[in-house]
Amino acid sequence: MHFQSPRPRSDEERILPLINVVFLLLIFFMLAGRLAATDPFPVKPPASVSDGEAGVRDLMVLVAADGRVAVDGEPVAPEALGDVLTARLARDGATRVQLKGDARAEAVHVVAIMEQLRDAGVERLRLLTVANP
Amino acid sequence: MHTNVFEAPRRLSTRPPRRRSLITLTPLIDVVFILLVFFMLASSFLDWRAIDLGSPTRAASGGGMTGAILVDILPDGLRVSGVSVSPSDVAEAVSARRDRSSGARVLVRPLAGVPLQDAVEVLDRLSAAGIDGISLTRDGG
Repeated sequence: MHFQSPRPRSDEERILPLINVVFLLLIFFMLAGRLAATDPFPVKPPASVSDGEAGVRDLMVLVAADGRVAVDGEPVAPEALGDVLTARLARDGATRVQLKGDARAEAVHVVAIMEQLRDAGVERLRLLTVANP
Repeated sequence: MHTNVFEAPRRLSTRPPRRRSLITLTPLIDVVFILLVFFMLASSFLDWRAIDLGSPTRAASGGGMTGAILVDILPDGLRVSGVSVSPSDVAEAVSARRDRSSGARVLVRPLAGVPLQDAVEVLDRLSAAGIDGISLTRDGG
């Protein structure tokens, strides 16, 4: 029995395993990750042990740590928030609203925004969190 | 005829000229790498959860507070209906009060200076103990 001595392979043959791995990584990131629009300001959501599903949403309200507010990625002045919400709800009847607040945001401020949402007629409000690591 | 016969073995002996394939590998790898980097940077792996904040409450609308169990979150502690409790006992204290007046709603009221994370932790503790009907509220203002 004799084994063939490894003959020098061509360049293309040598990078085939590399391409295999890169393709696998590509497919993994395409399937496992979720593409999402970036927020106008960084929001680090609070950690929680709740197991509620985030589910579908009609409207997303963002609250930054320093109190800035954005509705669906558009920054909104705090005074104009009520009007913007009322207009949005009247236009497309958004009843499932998700609130993404920064963990360091003032809780009183977030609750004030919740009250504005309720005044505008939101029926279903969910506070977004991330799972505890 | 003769020429053909002689040509064949000569072709086999020498390597045939390398044929350029339709897609060469290098540009393919370039594109795949760029796609890989894009998806690595653009995709997020955050495990999103949601806390359902059901029935709305307004402290200012009157009547909302009567008969409800009020959980105050202070920057340095917790108070259940005015009595200071430690964070680990808050669910127990609320449950005990709830047994006395069944069906009472629970109002969680963070005071100024409390970050949202602390409020979420209290909500977690309460819902982990099976307490429902929790609402967030604030000083009627």
